[in-house]
Amino acid sequence: MSTLEVKNLHVTIEGKKILKGVNLVMHTGEIHAIMGPNGTGKSTLSETIMGNPAYKVTQGEIFLDGKDILKMPVDERARAGLFLAMQYPAEIPGITNAEFIRGAINARRPQDDQLPIRQFLKDLDQAMEVLDMTEEMAERHLNEGFSGGEKKRNEILQLMMIKPKFAILDEIDSGLDIDALKVVSRGVNQMRGPEFGSLIITHYQRLLNYIVPDVVHVMMDGRIVKQGGPELAKKLEDEGYAGLRDELGLDIKLVDEDA
Amino acid sequence: MTIDLQKYPAIAAYAAQTNEPAWFSELRVKALQAAADLELPTFGKIRYQRWPVQIKRPLAYQASDPQLLSDVKLQSAKHIIIQLGQTTVRQQGLTELAAQGVIVCDWQTALKEHPELIKKYFMQKAIKYDQDLLTAQHVAGVTSGLLVYVPKNTVLNEPITSYFIQDATQKQDCVHHVILLADENSEVSYLENLTTIGDQPTTASIVVEVIAKAGSHVKFASVDRLGAKTTTYLNRRGHLDDDAKIDWSMGMMNDGNIVGDFDSDLIGSGSHAEVKVIAISTGRQVQGIDTRVTNYGKHTIGHILQHGVILSRSSLIFNGIGHIIKGAKGANAQQESRILMLSKKAKGDANPVLLIDDNDVQAGHAASIGRVNAEQLYYLMSRGLPQKIAERLVIRGFLGPVLEVIPSDSIREQLRDTIERKLVNGQRDE
Repeated sequence: MSTLEVKNLHVTIEGKKILKGVNLVMHTGEIHAIMGPNGTGKSTLSETIMGNPAYKVTQGEIFLDGKDILKMPVDERARAGLFLAMQYPAEIPGITNAEFIRGAINARRPQDDQLPIRQFLKDLDQAMEVLDMTEEMAERHLNEGFSGGEKKRNEILQLMMIKPKFAILDEIDSGLDIDALKVVSRGVNQMRGPEFGSLIITHYQRLLNYIVPDVVHVMMDGRIVKQGGPELAKKLEDEGYAGLRDELGLDIKLVDEDA
Repeated sequence: MTIDLQKYPAIAAYAAQTNEPAWFSELRVKALQAAADLELPTFGKIRYQRWPVQIKRPLAYQASDPQLLSDVKLQSAKHIIIQLGQTTVRQQGLTELAAQGVIVCDWQTALKEHPELIKKYFMQKAIKYDQDLLTAQHVAGVTSGLLVYVPKNTVLNEPITSYFIQDATQKQDCVHHVILLADENSEVSYLENLTTIGDQPTTASIVVEVIAKAGSHVKFASVDRLGAKTTTYLNRRGHLDDDAKIDWSMGMMNDGNIVGDFDSDLIGSGSHAEVKVIAISTGRQVQGIDTRVTNYGKHTIGHILQHGVILSRSSLIFNGIGHIIKGAKGANAQQESRILMLSKKAKGDANPVLLIDDNDVQAGHAASIGRVNAEQLYYLMSRGLPQKIAERLVIRGFLGPVLEVIPSDSIREQLRDTIERKLVNGQRDE
């Protein structure tokens, strides 16, 4: 079992304080969801765990199996077992999707034990089938000209192929219709098991009908303000973030709230 | 005019050793005499004048040992000629070409067996021997080269491949000349590989004249990998008659300082030049590339597409010049030059120039210099790829638009491999 631990994390971006002391512990075998209103730091948390150089940690620590990863560059963190399914995946015209995924898998393996191409193609076919992806998507340049929905599927395809210890899914549901949402959820659910943990970031409860979390965290104003089981997500759907804020007696202005 | 060769002992000695025809030795002397009054040419923002780019060592015959090539990886090809310094090492698949009237031979053979072609075309049409100091020194010093002649209406399906390996194990300058003459309505694909063996500091003067007669189509591709200690003047010139077309695809993967002068003269109406250049500069080298297309004829088309990458403390200059001469009605001149910087210490310069002397034309240009897209790099690295591999992928994507339009699969592959190698080596000095 692996453990990802975030301790008192403070993060600024372009001088602005976004995270103000986040604490979170998760283990493989668990699915966690982070919900919260817009502009509350959910994406900042996921980018910081992954190691996006644009985000500056001013205080706190992140441990993967007891090892401080904050000093590690993003590629090392990835090879250590972290994965981030991004909200806006970059388009890379220099490499085909299949070639890229194979490269990413082999970057984790020793030089003398690279994944045989046949095995790779077999795994790739299977994963693409789960995600209802057509074969030609493997041969297209990485994300280039992909629709929003295709990009999201492609993130999950990479997740299924790379098989990280922990996957952070940053608003994987945004821009997906209900059918695509089911497909993407099917992919994530297939990953479930004792060797895999996931942190799912979402605004809406809807995704959590398909990927049922073990733990739900609610984030507001750069902190986690409440934790609970899947029922917490349903409660939020009914009462909204403002209701929870008022219940907790927090003095926070929500970005999308009318003045 | 008779010239007393005794006043030029180096030329006389060389002529005696190589059995050079007198008319050519006299041409050398004429060029040498002209050189006294000529100056170095200027190429926009390329400041190369202080480099050791002039041929100063006296003309000399030097044989090279073919054994030097035992470790050099050469692609195999159906029609191939391999030259090492002044020595022709191997020729394959040329006799079957000869059966079709196609000539492929080295410079010494061309002087002896095809003097009428050399007299008519050598520094006559595409470039003049007394154009400037560099062309005059070139004519005075030429010691190796190639003549390719494709007769009228002859279509060659297989490319002609030439390797020229500069021998820098010896302290000798390298002066190499290529004439590629495509007669009316012929079609030929030619692949040139320039490379260096040895690491003596040397100067190279390489001039390529492509003469495309009416209705001919020449696909010219090059993979240029001259050595780090070689300072090079490389002039490639196209001269196009009516409805002729030249597709230039040049990969500038040299390791030393080089000034490249790539010009196409669209003389005949309806003639068309596509110039594609990929350049990668590494270490501390400077590659200055001056690409010009001049539209003389009506309805001529000149397109320039140059993409380059700069690493370490290197420099790359792309001048793109589209010149439409008065009277070239319906002419089209388009150009795009882009440079990707991988290092803050590298210098890039992309200079578009359009000179338009007629009204009834189309012309356009684009130029940019930018850094590697941080989001692309982050994305690739977030999947576990180390930074250097991620950078190479971003570069591949950047060079893609030029690579993909190169009209030959095998050349594309070869260029891709060469790019990869040059980048891997270049990243080591980062």
